[in-house]
Amino acid sequence: MEHVIDIQGLVKWYGSVQALRGVDLKVQRGELLGFLGPNGAGKTTTIRCLLDQIRPQAGSIRVLGLDPQKNPVLVQRQIGYLPGELSLEGTLKVSQLFRYLIQLRGNRTDKAYLKELTRRLELDTSRKIKNLSSGNKQKVGVVQALMHQPTLLILDEPTAGLDPLMQQEVYRLLREAQSRGATVFFSSHILGEVETLADRVAIIRQGVIVEEATPDQLTEMAMRQVHVSFMDPVDLDPLRALPGVHVLAESDGLSAQLRVEGEMDALIKSLAGFPVKDLQTASHSLEDIFLKYYEREEEEA
Amino acid sequence: MFVEFKHSLRNYAGQIAGWGFGLALLGVLLVSVYDSFADQMDMYEQLVESFPQEFMAFFGDLGGMATPEGFVAIEFFSYMPLILGIFAIQAGSGLLARDEEEGRLDLVMAHPVSRSGLFVGRFLAFLCALAGILFIAWLGIVGPMNWSSLSLGWGEVARPFLSLYAEMALFGALGVLLSMLLPSRRLASMAAGLLLVASFFLPGFATLNENLETVARFSPLEYYQTQEAFAGLNREWLFGLLAAAAVFALLSWWRFVRRDIRVGGEGGWRLGQMIPWSSRTE
Repeated sequence: MEHVIDIQGLVKWYGSVQALRGVDLKVQRGELLGFLGPNGAGKTTTIRCLLDQIRPQAGSIRVLGLDPQKNPVLVQRQIGYLPGELSLEGTLKVSQLFRYLIQLRGNRTDKAYLKELTRRLELDTSRKIKNLSSGNKQKVGVVQALMHQPTLLILDEPTAGLDPLMQQEVYRLLREAQSRGATVFFSSHILGEVETLADRVAIIRQGVIVEEATPDQLTEMAMRQVHVSFMDPVDLDPLRALPGVHVLAESDGLSAQLRVEGEMDALIKSLAGFPVKDLQTASHSLEDIFLKYYEREEEEA
Repeated sequence: MFVEFKHSLRNYAGQIAGWGFGLALLGVLLVSVYDSFADQMDMYEQLVESFPQEFMAFFGDLGGMATPEGFVAIEFFSYMPLILGIFAIQAGSGLLARDEEEGRLDLVMAHPVSRSGLFVGRFLAFLCALAGILFIAWLGIVGPMNWSSLSLGWGEVARPFLSLYAEMALFGALGVLLSMLLPSRRLASMAAGLLLVASFFLPGFATLNENLETVARFSPLEYYQTQEAFAGLNREWLFGLLAAAAVFALLSWWRFVRRDIRVGGEGGWRLGQMIPWSSRTE
């Protein structure tokens, strides 16, 4: 089996609102894929389709080689899931909730690993869930998703509400799961998280995947800010004529602020003919790339 | 399925104890006052004779209260559908929709339990909880009978409880079905409650107005057996109610395994989804 998740042409309507407009996405075995998108882009809808909690109107889904609509139990047996808006039975103690969820999984959970998870995330299992802070509830969610060491982890914003130290611990746990052979599919709003954690990023916008690449590839594709200063006043028209180069600001021909999309090669070669005094470039982070798509969405709207 | 059944039944523990012991206490009080009531039977019979015919027609055979069966039927069983109906409807409408609306069902359903298993486990737990409540209530009546002149057999007292059980199972199943069709659990409770109240009063009104007799035949509480059940149950009525409850439960299951699970707070009419040829569903 090549792909752990294989989604093709997924369409989902909520009444008259189209949440997914033909999502195509493949996740390879052992991959750590970050699923990125603004609120309402279709992240949670896609995830809930994967788990057969909602049914799409069109398209096909294969999870671990199975159709989740036809074999939901077989699929769910191999999945660890953390919902985006985690809600738990407040009257139960954390340990009682874990016991219930372990029983739902047919007692197929390594108790020693569960203990290790609660220790590493500093989770007190003797407390009632209703008395936990939102961060500790999130820890409960993370532990229950990981405790049976699933083949596929589907996590909807796994570090929401966690402090930075706990976020780092969750990252470590996810990498460890990946090193054991698990595939991790997680959505996030925290772009830095995706940038540091994901092997590959898929960006969803208005119910369509608009980009799929590694964080490095995305950064390479990004726009760069270039500041050039010259020893003498120059005519910037040759630079303006270069494809992908935009002059954002200039100062009497002595300096210029440029925005460069794609490769820098043409700009560097062109600048060779100028009396360049100084050249500074700043590559953009994943956040800029994400915002670029987001801004485009707003412009279209 | 068994894990979900066990878990749900444990969640009902407080309600079983609360409702069960509350009704049992009522039973104990009724049995304990029966002797003093029996001493004043002559005065009661005079009072009943003074009631207008319409009043008697609406409330049934109040004169039957002179017998132990009639006393227990009128003082306990006659209004019990309205009282216990609150539990049945709340439990039924909340069977799945409560967790769904509070966003808890997502997590449960991400575990290897089928929708059918989840439904059956929870519905069986509801039926067992209902049986538990009625069993404790039954003990509340038959237990203190040894110290009273209320001479009824334990089996005799159990019969109207069986009829009550069938009625409550039916209204519980109706609550589940409405929660699968209507946008919110609250709306499902309201609709089922309205039907319960209408069903409760309809047979009484039908005795006053012949035009309502046809409608009253569709009222579940038309087939509720109280005083007459002590002598023997009409099994057709009893099994008819249970069959209707089973039909409602089956329809609910059919909807549940086919429909989308809402995320917390999300609501919408699902009647359109029941149309098989509808191209777009929620």
